[in-house]
Amino acid sequence: MYQPWTVKYKPKTLKEIVGNREAIEKFVNWVKSWEKSPPAKRAAFLYGPPGVGKTVTVEALANDFKMELVEKNASDYRTEEAVKRFAGLASQYGSLFGTRRIILFDELDGLTGTADKGGVKAITDIIKTAQCPIVLIANNAFDPRFAVLRNYCLLIEFKKPSATEVLKRLKAICLKEGIAAEENALKFIAQRSEGDIRSAVTDLQALAQGKKRLTYDDVSWLGYRDRQETIFTVLRMILYGKTCEGAKRAVNMADVDVDMLFEWIYENVPAHLTDPHDLARAMDALSMADVYRGRIRSTQDWSFVRYVIDFMTAGVAMARVNTKTSGWTPFQFPKRIQALSRSKEERAMQLEIGHKIKRRCHISATRASKEVLPYLRIIFKNNVEVASGIAKWLDLSPEMIEYIAENKEKAEAIKQAAGLKPS
Amino acid sequence: MSFEMWAEKYRPKTLDEMVNQKEIVERLKSFVKAKNVPHCIFAGPPGTGKTTAALCLARDLYGEAYREHIMELNASDERGIDVVRETVKTFARVRSIGEVPFKIMILDEADNMTADAQQALRRTMERYTETCRFILCANYSGKIIEPIQSRCAPFRFTYLPREEHDKYLRYIAENEGVKLLDEGLDAIYEVCGGDLRRAINTLQAAASLGKPVDAKIVYSIAGRANPADVQKMIETAMKGDFLEARKQLREMIQKYGVAGSDIIRQIHTEIFRAEIPEPWKIKLADIVGEIDYRLVEGADEEVQLSALLARLVEAAYEIKSARKG
Repeated sequence: MYQPWTVKYKPKTLKEIVGNREAIEKFVNWVKSWEKSPPAKRAAFLYGPPGVGKTVTVEALANDFKMELVEKNASDYRTEEAVKRFAGLASQYGSLFGTRRIILFDELDGLTGTADKGGVKAITDIIKTAQCPIVLIANNAFDPRFAVLRNYCLLIEFKKPSATEVLKRLKAICLKEGIAAEENALKFIAQRSEGDIRSAVTDLQALAQGKKRLTYDDVSWLGYRDRQETIFTVLRMILYGKTCEGAKRAVNMADVDVDMLFEWIYENVPAHLTDPHDLARAMDALSMADVYRGRIRSTQDWSFVRYVIDFMTAGVAMARVNTKTSGWTPFQFPKRIQALSRSKEERAMQLEIGHKIKRRCHISATRASKEVLPYLRIIFKNNVEVASGIAKWLDLSPEMIEYIAENKEKAEAIKQAAGLKPS
Repeated sequence: MSFEMWAEKYRPKTLDEMVNQKEIVERLKSFVKAKNVPHCIFAGPPGTGKTTAALCLARDLYGEAYREHIMELNASDERGIDVVRETVKTFARVRSIGEVPFKIMILDEADNMTADAQQALRRTMERYTETCRFILCANYSGKIIEPIQSRCAPFRFTYLPREEHDKYLRYIAENEGVKLLDEGLDAIYEVCGGDLRRAINTLQAAASLGKPVDAKIVYSIAGRANPADVQKMIETAMKGDFLEARKQLREMIQKYGVAGSDIIRQIHTEIFRAEIPEPWKIKLADIVGEIDYRLVEGADEEVQLSALLARLVEAAYEIKSARKG
């Protein structure tokens, strides 16, 4: 069942909350001060940027202190009447059953101008006589609308947690999900979130759910997501350009490097230049751009990059002769990049198996991985007994057996028959 | 059925056991008798017994403990010049103790060595002839540099004749209790073309199904075991589906690690077999040659080969319109 990790891994106790220790301590002390009698400020106003843990802090505190949390958000208190309806709740500290109560007005920024006139004033009135702690939450406490309200509140600022703190949280989640994540990959996500834990966790789930491993390559393309609008404009200028100059200018707009831009164009040319002649011309232009990239590599003379750019932009733009520009075709993220990092691991595994075969079969590991491995796949698929015998004979590791069998149950059966304990 | 790769289990152990390459075997036996072996090049297609002949020669020469006197090196895995400088030299210069005063270095897939490494090898061969003899196994002797060729006795291995091939596979099948039908045997020969290693691997994979080995099983196995289905990719392109053809290409290169040079060689062969007007074949050969050259220059394999696929899409389109018009 799909459950957002932001919900699944929402901190249940104050201890689990990332960052903002000072703010949390201030808040806890204020709530504790209610034990004797209502303190001078009967409301706490928690403010700060989105996703830094304001609401979660209140919920976790209610949980830790076994308090009843009455939660209201913007839609519940848009007018004076609406707020007054639950004013009664605020008049008593304890509920009917003796548990203490805490009232939360969330998303205060949601109140707008005249339509919600009176809402803020009603809340202010309630605070003045409140017999239980009242908590207000907004991104910006210094909005002029809250000028009067602020006087009755203890202001507590929540700041963005540092990337290190976000990283810690991501690590903890990966641990629970059984994902082996590269430190680099998590760092990248953490830094990109700029302290917004909620978005970091959402990104992590999108990238890692269902995987056993998360590598830097898996996440690095995320960096391009934010810039997608720009890259789409750039691609439009190149794939639908009318002049060489215009197509070439697109490079200056792109905030990806030349190699990455090449990948974007290479991915999207076929869908946007469907006429066979146009397609052949465009692909030839890309081929020439690539030849010049090779020449840069072999000569280490970077001035050749101007020809790379000529061919991949102007060359592609000029390829369009017959293909009509009507219709709308979406742009795709370059798939080759993702495929490449996946297959890199796969090839490493194939070569490792190749080396095992080499030890027995007088054939190079490279050739064994190409010429013998395919037959092993067939045997492993069809015959557990023979497969386990061969696995022992070749001294294959459990991971190798799993890779060759391409099927978990089969692999387990083969491992068992081979006397390798299922891992 | 036994639990090892049959290609290994049924590899001949001595020169007497070798069923094919009769003339070569006779000459090798005379080396054993004289207890002297020159540097050799064993050239020929895969699966014809080059490595086997080298190992058999060594066993006949040194006896059961032959492993102490030889070293096997695979140029495909260790093709660099450093390997020649270090590993080969270290092995070659130390004198062997025993009746035979030299050791044997078997350099498998030697045509995959870089030119630099071959130059280094040439000097090593010269300097340590007293203590070490080299047997170079290669598919193409043309890829071995002249100075090395001139120092070696050449042996040309050819594919097994049909009856030897059949006899060997029948023997294995009988020994392993596998029912090998005549049509299955025909199919194996057709698919593997006399490459005995492939033939035996195919037989073993087919046998793992636990059914009599017929033609249908053999073909299905050959199809699955051969990822570089260049023919299918060309067909896809000629049908006009560029994106699908590029996907197949990507799979070949990335997932199965097929070399771009192998793919382009196959495309070149396929073009002359394709059912297209004769003049087009030479036009396409020109394009293939140009892309081949760009690949040699060190460009990106997928980008270059997909540019070639786009040209195939275009060619098929033009041929079709010409037929209509």
